[in-house]
Amino acid sequence: MSLLRVEQVSKHFGGLVANHEVSFNLEEGEVMGLIGPNGAGKTTLFNCIAGFYPPTSGTVRFNGEDITGLKDFQVARRGLARTFQIFEASGDLKVVENVMVGSFIHTGSRRRARRTAESTLEFLGIAEAAGAMMTELPVAAQKRVALATALASDPKLLLLDEVGAGLNPSEIEGLVGLLQRIHREKGISLLLTEHVLEMVMAMSHRVIVLESGKKIAEGEPSEVVKDPEVVRAYLGDHYVKRQEREEGRDA
Amino acid sequence: MSVVSGLLMGLVFALVALGLTVIFGVMDIINFAHGEFLMVGMYTTLLTSPLLGIDPVLTLPIAGLVGALLGVMCYFGLIRFLLKGPMIAQLFGTFGLMIFLRNLALLFMGSEPEVIHKGWLVGKSFIVGPGVVLESTKLAVAVLSLVSFAVVWWLINRTKVGKALTATSLDAEGARYMGISTEKMNALAWAVGGASVGIAGGLLVNFWPVEPGVGLLFTMIAFATVALGGFGSVRGALVAGLIIGMIVNLPPVWDAMMRLVDVTGLQIHSFKYTMVYAVYFLIMVLKPQGLFGWKQ
Amino acid sequence: MEAVKNALDFSDLPKSELGIAVVVLAFLVSFPAMPHSSFAMATMIQFLMFSLYGMGWNLIGGYGGQVDLGKAQYVGIGAYTTAVMMIRWDVPFWFSLPVGMGLAVGWSFVIGYPLFRLKGHYFAIATIATSLVLKDLFEVWDFVGGARGLEIPLKGSFPDWLYLQFREDFYYYYILLVMFLIGLLYVNAFRHSRLGFQLRAIKDNEHVARSLGIDVHWSKIKAYATATAFVAAVGSFHACYNFNIEPEDVMSLDLSVLIAMMAMLGGAGSIWGPIIGAAILVPMKNYLGDWLGGQAGLAGMDLALYGLIIMVIAAVQPRGVYGIVEAVRARRR
Repeated sequence: MSLLRVEQVSKHFGGLVANHEVSFNLEEGEVMGLIGPNGAGKTTLFNCIAGFYPPTSGTVRFNGEDITGLKDFQVARRGLARTFQIFEASGDLKVVENVMVGSFIHTGSRRRARRTAESTLEFLGIAEAAGAMMTELPVAAQKRVALATALASDPKLLLLDEVGAGLNPSEIEGLVGLLQRIHREKGISLLLTEHVLEMVMAMSHRVIVLESGKKIAEGEPSEVVKDPEVVRAYLGDHYVKRQEREEGRDA
Repeated sequence: MSVVSGLLMGLVFALVALGLTVIFGVMDIINFAHGEFLMVGMYTTLLTSPLLGIDPVLTLPIAGLVGALLGVMCYFGLIRFLLKGPMIAQLFGTFGLMIFLRNLALLFMGSEPEVIHKGWLVGKSFIVGPGVVLESTKLAVAVLSLVSFAVVWWLINRTKVGKALTATSLDAEGARYMGISTEKMNALAWAVGGASVGIAGGLLVNFWPVEPGVGLLFTMIAFATVALGGFGSVRGALVAGLIIGMIVNLPPVWDAMMRLVDVTGLQIHSFKYTMVYAVYFLIMVLKPQGLFGWKQ
Repeated sequence: MEAVKNALDFSDLPKSELGIAVVVLAFLVSFPAMPHSSFAMATMIQFLMFSLYGMGWNLIGGYGGQVDLGKAQYVGIGAYTTAVMMIRWDVPFWFSLPVGMGLAVGWSFVIGYPLFRLKGHYFAIATIATSLVLKDLFEVWDFVGGARGLEIPLKGSFPDWLYLQFREDFYYYYILLVMFLIGLLYVNAFRHSRLGFQLRAIKDNEHVARSLGIDVHWSKIKAYATATAFVAAVGSFHACYNFNIEPEDVMSLDLSVLIAMMAMLGGAGSIWGPIIGAAILVPMKNYLGDWLGGQAGLAGMDLALYGLIIMVIAAVQPRGVYGIVEAVRARRR
């Protein structure tokens, strides 16, 4: 039984079709990438899965349970955590307190929440920042704290919304290593949506490609990259023809 | 006929609410001291009429001017700083303004309610039909409200300045790129808002007593009106004002309530405004955009 | 048990603050033994009352970030419950206190549920609306004496611990001081609790909070109900201390505003804020009012001054006096 089953999910905003009958399964222990050009509907799909808003039609099943239409906090309590693309820390919380909010999801005890938060911060290698205020940190560190917070909620599946955005290549490398550790050592499945293609291709077992709200490809990274539909979606028609010509010449 | 009476009052409510909705439309701030601006308009008319020896109706432009000035002063002296801060600051800032103005009035004017006693508009009524008495005061006030409304509407929709104002309320940053100064538009909104509610006060004082605490009731009515009509919508303020005016004046409802609670006429008077508060609550919970609102 | 540990845990606050707190506490405990006028005593009692009001308000207005301008209605419920039960059924204060709190909290859940669909200004106006509606209701309801209010008769002889009727103020003072301390410890436990953290997360960013499993709506309602309990308890006390109550006294918008103003001035969202605010505004109100009262024709000057102070604070440092303290401390770091 798949950890996550997305079946024929569509999302309409008035006349605009953001997602159209998207289906895929994510197995436990998998790292899956969700890619597509701008406006393809990746974040919309994320939001439907995470319960930020309900899909217009279709179902989402998580861990065997139908979670379609559940509110985001209900989904989070069932073990599906997510990060946000843009967030502004407003400076009232210390780093460790921020992470504790995540760990409070499963406990009422401040002591236990604090311990979970501290160990999560250590796992991510930012334990020294525990006492700092969120606003004192640079953006890259803030993102790590956000990641720690999501992790502290002990999820089975982590939805990562463009975590690589705005990072330089060495930061990306560090992030990839971190995510892989999270995946391996904590056994958490990951679903990432990304524009930074190197990240996704390096990490994912499988990749799904969206374009204009529809799924146009699914498979291992190496296959998807060669899929003419995908190339056309990202780069346009004449690149496909050029690729076909080149492949014809090599054959 | 109480429906007519309701409509007439409604026009006054609409004018009071107009200022609030214009300001909100342009900069998303709610002025808790709005009723106090009304009070200032009322006192202005009360005082300038005997001072200048002319009829209160003629002093309306002065009330409008004072209102506009007050609005602009508040903008530059306070609001401008509040806009930079968190919501809680904005809320408290205008709340402090409310307390300040109200008590300043208490200090200078005393707490005795006063109303205009002489004037073209005062205390006249005529009989239209069997059992139907129209208070010409209210009629004239309503007409003048409508006129003021029309003037503001014309200003906003037909003049260049008005269009600039609308541009800022739709997208302040975009308007800035087009050369429209947000600061100037903000100040203008406060001027227009202040003027309209100042004039409303000048009209109101012809039949409604003014005292330092009169503002609160009208602030609440204005909020209910703007909520019903939709925050930011001029048209909405008009329609909603009429509706609220009628709610306040509907006898069948009040007869029913009278049977529930054995009270004297005086207490009914305060009770019907309770309905207004309740209306606000219900609207905000059930349909926050109001009737014509495009902003929330 | 952890809640109790939390209540006593002040370790995250700077030592200097704790030092000041201890000194202030010592002062409060020993105040009645010092020479003082009855006016000063009345002022101190008011200070404690408003501190408690403010502490309660702070739970939803400060930590919760939703400015509530309708707390007075719950003061009224607490006060009237105690008064009515005492007058009609001879119920001692110690029983009517929890009953009043229960009724107030119950009512707060009823209106809290729709109320918290709103935010910011809209929420604030709605709180004013509900408070005014309830006040209007009480003013026409004969059972509670309508606009005239209720007068509490003497039950027996002084000192009466059952009905909280004393001739000397210092009895009232110490009972209130105990309530004050309990309140303070409760607030401390609250800010260390799961709900406390959740509220701060909500205040920070609601979407993120929800993605972490927090039921934002329900958390806010819980904070609101807790704030209500505080406020109603003081209301009950007020009825016994004042011997008479009327809607204009205990349920007015002015009271709601004062409560919010004091907490905000002192620093909403901090544990000492409400106390600081009350410490500044209550004596100022009393002594200024007394001085000005001597000069007729200056009525309203004290409140006009408040309005001015609030405007300045809102424009310059919305986090209040405590916010100024924190800012100074941060710059020194």
